[in-house]
Amino acid sequence: MLNLIRRDVILQKKLILVFIPFILFFTLMEVHPILTFFVASVYVPFNAYAYDEKSDVNILLNSLPYTRKEIIAARYLGALFYMAAAIGLSIIAMLLFSKDFSVVDVGMGAGAFLLFGAITFPLFYILKQGYITATLMFVIIIGALMGPFLVRVLGDHLPAIAQFFTETSETVLYSGAAIIAIVFYTVSWGFTTLIYQRKAF
Amino acid sequence: MQILISNSSKEPIYEQIANQVKSSILAGELEEGAALPSIRQLAKDLHISVITTKRAYEELEKAGFIYSVVGKGSFVAEQNLEVIREKKLKVIEEQLSAVISNSREIGLSLEEMKELLDILYRE
Amino acid sequence: MEHVIDLHNVSKTYKDFSIPTMNLQVKQGYVTGLIGANGAGKSTTIKLMMNLIQPDAGDVKVFGQDYASHEKAIKERIGFVYDGNVFFEGLNLKDIKRIVGPAYKHWNDQLFYQYVEMFELPLKKPIKTFSKGMQMKASLAIALSHEAELIIMDEPTAGLDPVFRRELLDLLQDLMLDGKRTILFSTHITTDLERIADYIAFLNRGELVFNQTVHEVSETYALVKGGTDLLDRDTEKSFVHVQRAATGFEALTDNVNAVREVFGSSVMIERATLEDIMFYTKGRKSYA
Repeated sequence: MLNLIRRDVILQKKLILVFIPFILFFTLMEVHPILTFFVASVYVPFNAYAYDEKSDVNILLNSLPYTRKEIIAARYLGALFYMAAAIGLSIIAMLLFSKDFSVVDVGMGAGAFLLFGAITFPLFYILKQGYITATLMFVIIIGALMGPFLVRVLGDHLPAIAQFFTETSETVLYSGAAIIAIVFYTVSWGFTTLIYQRKAF
Repeated sequence: MQILISNSSKEPIYEQIANQVKSSILAGELEEGAALPSIRQLAKDLHISVITTKRAYEELEKAGFIYSVVGKGSFVAEQNLEVIREKKLKVIEEQLSAVISNSREIGLSLEEMKELLDILYRE
Repeated sequence: MEHVIDLHNVSKTYKDFSIPTMNLQVKQGYVTGLIGANGAGKSTTIKLMMNLIQPDAGDVKVFGQDYASHEKAIKERIGFVYDGNVFFEGLNLKDIKRIVGPAYKHWNDQLFYQYVEMFELPLKKPIKTFSKGMQMKASLAIALSHEAELIIMDEPTAGLDPVFRRELLDLLQDLMLDGKRTILFSTHITTDLERIADYIAFLNRGELVFNQTVHEVSETYALVKGGTDLLDRDTEKSFVHVQRAATGFEALTDNVNAVREVFGSSVMIERATLEDIMFYTKGRKSYA
């Protein structure tokens, strides 16, 4: 299982070298820390999927002594591990260049990644190979367009929600968000495992 | 032990093997109790399937030329050689009797017959 | 355990292809060749054996165990070689080894490098620059480096030059020496590997026509040639398929003895090659 997680490093040796200047760029350009943490977290897991899409990796992995459950678990746990590493690196970069960020930013970045992963990871196993990258771009663009719009609609039409947010204490709010993100991620994990177990290669 | 296999022969490969081993045994090249190569080794050496050499050995075993010990391999059978020799001798005797009765029919003398045999044997 | 692989009443239906019910056993310690024309179901059968696809009904057992509860234990003992590259094409062999090797408990690095040397494979060049033959050798080196007891190969000889095909034969026979290994390979090129196969499993349109020793095949099947005047509804019954020409007929029989009885010495009877059997059987639809 650890070996399955480790394979992403072997696969992306060269890309990981690009990763460091990538984080530095984001840091120096003073991109909002939440976005930096988010994008950094996305980097390794999504490159891994892009790699997998190019080869018959599922045939390979399923012919090796792994169970389908493990293959999916390695994806979800691996993403957490690489997220932690990416956020760690970003924090070091920000500290080095004395940029401002808060613990809340870290949490929000990680939470955003978990939600994003929870939605997109299953897509990699539902969609046909070859359409994955295109679909993903589509989801991201739609998300970017719809996100602010949705927030505005929510804010305009549901004052109760706004009130709820202002009235709830920050701790409760953040821990609530964290729990929601984790629950989403776990449910997504279970769902993907179900899909993957039925798949034919 | 030398075995030569012909791919163009009509004779199945397992028969070719069995016959050549048989000849070697009858000619005394393979002595009583001598170990034969393992089925798998022989298959590899001859570049043929394991089941073919297995079949050849089975035929040889059925005919009493060899015997197999589980885990040890196959060996040239002992006492049967005498029996085989006797069997062959019996066949030769029968054939010779036929020759004699045929010769008598056309009045061929024993001397003439011996002469004929002499010539044929040397050929 | 006599049967390393046991497909029991296995069925699988796709839109354009189906395996109605298949019963196929692969004997331990022997080489089984899975033959059939393209589209006969060879790859599907192998995928069922590897649990890459699951049957709609029936049981698949490997080493006497089922995949539902022993997937890892089973795959630990299988070496696989597929038609086409399943490895990350951008990686070199050394990196692929670093990914695949640790997956196996019994991975043997030394053995791997021995094969790499024997096959003259470059360790540092990306797999995508390999020729088809080299890719196959690379797969083989990996398949043989973890003490697999069962080696499953899908079309291993496709794209190989004759020299390496011979070398491959030698190598496979070496592997078979201790009698513990089992090899199953599929192919539609029947000439080279035909020689080392002990059992032939013949697929046609998703059905297993036979799974017999090479001797049984050559003792039941034969090519029959003769004048077309000998053919009528009755005599034709002993043939799988008949081809007529102005010069006479040529037919495949799966019952040589019956043909001898019916035609006696009025026809010519010859050994049928696997290719002959494949060619003539393709014309027929069912084997009730």
